[in-house]
Amino acid sequence: MWFYDKKTQYPIKIKKPDPRMAIAILTQYGGPNGELAASLRYLSQRFSMPTKEAKATLNDIGTEELAHLEMIGTMVHQLMDKVPPKELEKLHVDTNYVIHGRAVYPSDSNGVPFTAAYIESMEDPIANLNEDLAAEEKARATYDYLISIADDPDVIDPLRFLREREVVHYQRFGETLRIVRETMGKKKYY
Amino acid sequence: MDEQTTLLEQIMAYDFALYDLQLFLNTHPSDTNALRDYKMALEQSENLRRQYQSKYGPLTARYLPNTTCWQWINDPWPWNNKEV
Repeated sequence: MWFYDKKTQYPIKIKKPDPRMAIAILTQYGGPNGELAASLRYLSQRFSMPTKEAKATLNDIGTEELAHLEMIGTMVHQLMDKVPPKELEKLHVDTNYVIHGRAVYPSDSNGVPFTAAYIESMEDPIANLNEDLAAEEKARATYDYLISIADDPDVIDPLRFLREREVVHYQRFGETLRIVRETMGKKKYY
Repeated sequence: MDEQTTLLEQIMAYDFALYDLQLFLNTHPSDTNALRDYKMALEQSENLRRQYQSKYGPLTARYLPNTTCWQWINDPWPWNNKEV
């Protein structure tokens, strides 16, 4: 189970609204390489992990991704908050506005709703961990794209933090894959 | 930055260090240096958390201040931008 701590993992204090950037960042909320997909992927895969290190790693990275989902939601909210509808129309984000208003909805930047088809969960831990390594790199690349189009330090700073976490998670999943391979090797699985 | 935000961001920094060390320890459970760092950061975080909650109210619903009113619902929530 989980308990809520009344804080984000990293500070987010965006002073200047930027609805176009909000919609760009939205893909990390409910898009294919986003934090919701990451969290559900790891928290589902953990049930079939064979070693204590792998169970803990999937459980705890899956949990951290929920904190990242909250960070992304906070960024989208602060970038959209109180922007007048006419302004949204001028910036060409009015199609999103007429569906959801200025709410945070789990979709990608094109409005495609979140789907569990973005993730896989198999009984085979080697297959899962290889998917997880790829997922971290895809999320890292998405943060690179987002940072390349952002110009506000209040936006770039948390994006850089999130990008760095993808790198750390990749490292931890790599170590986990090595541990799982060694353990399964001893049991003569292959 | 006001005193409340400064204190909260100190807690956030220690809690982040703790979480990063937790992930590291999951794949390096016998690393005594990491374990020592974890213990140090945990003490700092708990100490700052006590200070913060007694001054500014609950960070978790399980902190119950000596008042007649349920304070957990009070603003700010983490997604609210106080400085705007």
